[in-house]
Amino acid sequence: MRRLTVGVILLTVVTLVGLWTAPVAMAQEQPRRGGVLRVALAADPPSLDAHQEQTFAVTQPMSAVYNNLLVLDPHNYPKIVGDVAKSWKVSSDHLTHTFTLHEGIKFHDGSELTSADVKASWDKVVFPSAGVISPRRGNYQMIKSVEAPDRVTVVFRLYHPSPAFMTSLAHPANFIYPKKHLDTDPHYFKTRAVGSGPFKLKNYVRGSYVELERNPDYWKKGLPYLDGLTYFIITDTSARTTALRSGRVDTELRFLPPVDVHAIKQQLGDKVVAARIQSIGSFGVTVNAGKKPFDDERVRKALTLAIDRYDAVKTLSSITNLELIGGVMHPESQWALSQAELEKLPGFGRDHAANLREAKRLLAEAGYPNGFKTVLTNRNIKMPYVDLAVYLISVWKKIGVDAEHRVEETATWSQSRLNRDFELLIDPYGSTTVGDPDEMLDKFVTGQPENWGRMSDPVLDDLFSLQSKEMNEAKRIQLVKEMIKRILTKAWRIEGLWTTRLEVRTARLRNYEPMPSHWNNRRFEDAWLAAK
Amino acid sequence: MRRYILKRVLLMVPTLLGVALVVFLLMHVVPGDIALLILGAGEQGGDVNLSELAKVRHKLGLDRPLYVQFFSWVWGIVRLDFGNSLWTGAPVIEELRIRFPLTLEVAVFATLVSTLIAIPLGTLAAIRQDTWVDYIVRVISIGGLAIPNFWTGILLILFLVIYFEWSPPLVFVPIWEDPWENIKQLFWPIVTVGYRNAAVSTRLTRSAVLEVMREDYIRTAWAKGLREFLVVVKHTLKNAMLPVITIIGAELAFLMGGLVVTETVFTLNGLGRFIVDAILRRDIPVVQTMVLMTAFIIIFVNLIVDLLYAWLDPRISYGAHRAGQR
Repeated sequence: MRRLTVGVILLTVVTLVGLWTAPVAMAQEQPRRGGVLRVALAADPPSLDAHQEQTFAVTQPMSAVYNNLLVLDPHNYPKIVGDVAKSWKVSSDHLTHTFTLHEGIKFHDGSELTSADVKASWDKVVFPSAGVISPRRGNYQMIKSVEAPDRVTVVFRLYHPSPAFMTSLAHPANFIYPKKHLDTDPHYFKTRAVGSGPFKLKNYVRGSYVELERNPDYWKKGLPYLDGLTYFIITDTSARTTALRSGRVDTELRFLPPVDVHAIKQQLGDKVVAARIQSIGSFGVTVNAGKKPFDDERVRKALTLAIDRYDAVKTLSSITNLELIGGVMHPESQWALSQAELEKLPGFGRDHAANLREAKRLLAEAGYPNGFKTVLTNRNIKMPYVDLAVYLISVWKKIGVDAEHRVEETATWSQSRLNRDFELLIDPYGSTTVGDPDEMLDKFVTGQPENWGRMSDPVLDDLFSLQSKEMNEAKRIQLVKEMIKRILTKAWRIEGLWTTRLEVRTARLRNYEPMPSHWNNRRFEDAWLAAK
Repeated sequence: MRRYILKRVLLMVPTLLGVALVVFLLMHVVPGDIALLILGAGEQGGDVNLSELAKVRHKLGLDRPLYVQFFSWVWGIVRLDFGNSLWTGAPVIEELRIRFPLTLEVAVFATLVSTLIAIPLGTLAAIRQDTWVDYIVRVISIGGLAIPNFWTGILLILFLVIYFEWSPPLVFVPIWEDPWENIKQLFWPIVTVGYRNAAVSTRLTRSAVLEVMREDYIRTAWAKGLREFLVVVKHTLKNAMLPVITIIGAELAFLMGGLVVTETVFTLNGLGRFIVDAILRRDIPVVQTMVLMTAFIIIFVNLIVDLLYAWLDPRISYGAHRAGQR
């Protein structure tokens, strides 16, 4: 008996020591050179020019080929750090931002990256010439000019102080291209890639794969560790899951459904890491305030009151990526309302029976004591679009609202949205950077192109304008919170739930942490693969 | 015969033109705008700036009147210029060139596999009707019809990985560049599609052979004391092949654009997936060219099948019967 006790104690001690030292040993692991990271790319890049495209399918593979002026720190999100910018200073009136560039940066063709290249690249994004598409140009309306007074200095002059400016500069798609090619053909980079990044484009077969190889002359000495990256274009979700399960790829960088991730984990166990990331995206309902009865605040409020979001999380989180309750800014961000503040708003209170009573009362007051029929327009993507709609339709029945589910494919759905040809619309809402209020809340401003619900609220317009120029962060947070309260109180948007992103990668991939947006941190310049 | 072939070839022109017009009109009737998708309308965080939208539409030529769009495309075809993909900006012919060899190889080999399975098995089942051989063949063929391709495909991939720790490569290498790599990638898709198609052809072969075997001339052949091999192969099979060849031809033509599921499951960069993506994106020049190409293949294969009829059944003759009547 005594020997058994001693044995158990010894085993426990060895296990504890092992558990304690394992992370230390892992932390002390030396980066290993070599290996090719094989990635499943969930969409087919329309071209290779991220400036002219608005899809992760371009930024995911091409981010490793280029450098940007600023980036989000890959190891300290959401801090913004310089990439080709070594340092910067801001004038006291916040209207002039002066960046000093690293020297000795070489493009893959051997030419030097200078401020002229940075200016040419940013001019293409902010002031595109005729025939050049710049889908994110609207984010840079504060920029008055970009100047390159000498080889290593770039100056951005703004029309007005903008707290969102630095974040918008760190957007992952704003690659620095060599000016000489832009001068000859602004579409040069649609089919070719000459960057200064850690990897060079080796091969690209449209619809099949993008192959990148190590840049041995990368200006960040000793990097990258990987020999290459290969992105296999696998657009079907179950085919991507199968590719991961069969070891044909090492990682998937967008997201996979929980049920697929469960199957992968069950089969591959510790060989893979399934990261659950709180992405900056939510799914809710845009209400067409230009159509009756949704021009009536009481009707909109009734619809939001009918949703028990605490029950919705329980029901939907097991089958979809809808997992968090929040307002119209990310619930984990500094902009979010506290839980106590949130619970005071319509539809977020915990007493659901009282919410339902209030919803029915409001409908009766608005002239719909028996409810009404409506149409919920949706996109033909099961997770989470259709799943959320099915849930909402069922809860709205409790207050007599009979919503017909109209499912449309993406092209039709986006046109219905643009033409405001809907009553209620399942609508995603999110950010590809850090979710700055300028990027998120412009949809609630009168006359903005993405104000799909045709809402017009002068109070919101003023609040948006004020926060957009407020350089004091604490004051800006207050303004944003006021705006959120107003949006949810007036039920300009019926917020559903916020999403998480399940990103599966091989456990051999080291020194890499995913960010909330699947667009970011795709350069892999200091990531490495452990031995098999 | 030559006159008949010429007539059929000439008839292709109005048929293809009609197909082109119908597809063009359909693509414009269906709601949806590729310009919106280019601007990321479906993407998280996508912005749709109206001035950019107008710019994209202008750049793609979508703001021109419909008849101008149609005739400029038809005029391009006359000059063998099929236009550019609205999604990638690359010439449509270039996009097809990337994907055509893979689809052609899978379609041709799958048809070959299916024929090699179907004709012997179907014949065997017919001549051994209601024996255990017939029952096994029927189970196999009904299985092929009942089990969906995607399920067979996924099972095959997982089976190979779990039991052999092997999975087919993801990158297509043409057979003339590296036959072994090519076979490694395409063997299982070909088997999957071939099995599915064999199921249809086997059942058809069985019933066709059974029907012919009940004919008087076969009874005469048996009565003359001919060997079974001669009766079956020379007298029965050749006559029973007419419907089988029709269906094999139709399936080959269908596979040129209909391998969507197989291409998706096995991650193959073929024409099937390409046309579905193009339809979803409203990439009109790609859809028009693909449909035109598929229509051409179907007409061409049908012509070949019709010509084979004459070879298989001497009673069928194209062109000569008129002279004979007179």
